[in-house]
Amino acid sequence: MRASCEFYLATTGRSVFRRLAGLIALALLGTLAAMCAEPALNVSLNTSKAGPRSVESQTEKVILRDYKFAWSNLGQAMESNSTASISGLFAGTANAWLTSAVATQRRNRLTSRYSNQNHKVDAVFYAPEGDVIELHDTAEYDLQILDGGKTIHDEHVVAHYVVLMTPGADRWVVRQLQAVPQF
Amino acid sequence: MLASLWRQLGMLSVCMAGLAGLTLYAQEADLRAPSAAVAGNPASIETTGGGPATFYLIGPSIAVKRDVRMGEAIALSAKELQSSGKYMAIVCSEACRSVGFFVAPAKPVGLTFLVHPSRAPVSQPNMVSGVALPFDEFHNLVLAPATVEFQLSAAGIAPASHSAPTQGGVAWFHTNSGRSAGALQITASIDGVSTRRVVQQVASDPCSLRIKGERNKRGFAVETEPVKDCTGNPVPDGTIVTFTAKDAQGTDTVDAPIKKGIARAQLKGSGTVTISAASGVVMGNEVRLGGQ
Repeated sequence: MRASCEFYLATTGRSVFRRLAGLIALALLGTLAAMCAEPALNVSLNTSKAGPRSVESQTEKVILRDYKFAWSNLGQAMESNSTASISGLFAGTANAWLTSAVATQRRNRLTSRYSNQNHKVDAVFYAPEGDVIELHDTAEYDLQILDGGKTIHDEHVVAHYVVLMTPGADRWVVRQLQAVPQF
Repeated sequence: MLASLWRQLGMLSVCMAGLAGLTLYAQEADLRAPSAAVAGNPASIETTGGGPATFYLIGPSIAVKRDVRMGEAIALSAKELQSSGKYMAIVCSEACRSVGFFVAPAKPVGLTFLVHPSRAPVSQPNMVSGVALPFDEFHNLVLAPATVEFQLSAAGIAPASHSAPTQGGVAWFHTNSGRSAGALQITASIDGVSTRRVVQQVASDPCSLRIKGERNKRGFAVETEPVKDCTGNPVPDGTIVTFTAKDAQGTDTVDAPIKKGIARAQLKGSGTVTISAASGVVMGNEVRLGGQ
């Protein structure tokens, strides 16, 4: 097996790699275009099961906007190892955890890359006075963890998050973002 | 052309994986994650194999990197496992292996208790509501189902209690406001942990207005009888009562705040005057005062 593979590699490797070069050039162009566009991040929010208070349509839009923005900023923070991008979308425990995660990553020269995010979010509790909402997020994303430039973990993740959000002055903020095995 | 390229690539990858597999097999090691980790409790990851390796622990609020030896248990300290959620343990020697595990919240030591409103008019249906969320000492939301006991007490009435199960870490209640003005104390308790809030119950809208008046040198002096809501509570001072005087020349209107339960006003008018009063949606009686 080893001998035949070494022979095969020697004879066909060059022609394969020449053809690959063309494809790689095309892929690079595509990658550059993708980098200029928004990172893939889809969030859908279903509020039909929320109670005891029903979620007003304007509130639903704002929560959807801010939750999506929060994940976008979380991804940036974990990849750049900087909390500058968090922009007040996390508060309380969620903010403390994210800040600590970024700081310890930076200390150990690690980075995490979240890509191709899809979040299917259900609002399951909306307080009678509208001052707290609980969301259940079934999230799918590709997670890459790097030590320096070396990938040490690469996984397509399906995760479940229990999320608490509260209204701030001009936005809804994430106060708790807690992964659970299942809902 | 593309099909032939894919075939060649397929063969290439099979060969490379085969060669790599020979190497990986020699170094293969297993990781066994802790089965029931709880926040703030130490745990360990069992490993097999041998030789030095680099260990990584990636959690909700932590990223750890340190050297370990394969074949020995990797100790995770209580501090490293304070946040509830998913952790990824990765061990790299020549290749990297990983295992994920969850850390559950510890037992509740605190209750976040949101109660509304801070001031509630009496005798209103479902006027007072509360939401309780149990947290452990590391600020993890405790998601295991539990029962929260809500106790309501106010001066002059027997305490009432209401229990509600947590669902997704949240328990809530709503109730009517009491019949008497005063402080309503609400306590939420779970597993010996309790949090107290106070709602000030205040009189509701005036139930009826009775006015009386008399002529004086400047016109007509009018005042209400003590203004109360429908359950007999004095309406708060500062509530506005509008007095209106109508005579042949026109209308004179004065807004007067209630002071010590009574609103007073001085109205102008000549001849026979009809005076009425209103507060909110409540109209008072009319009085007719004759001219001099």
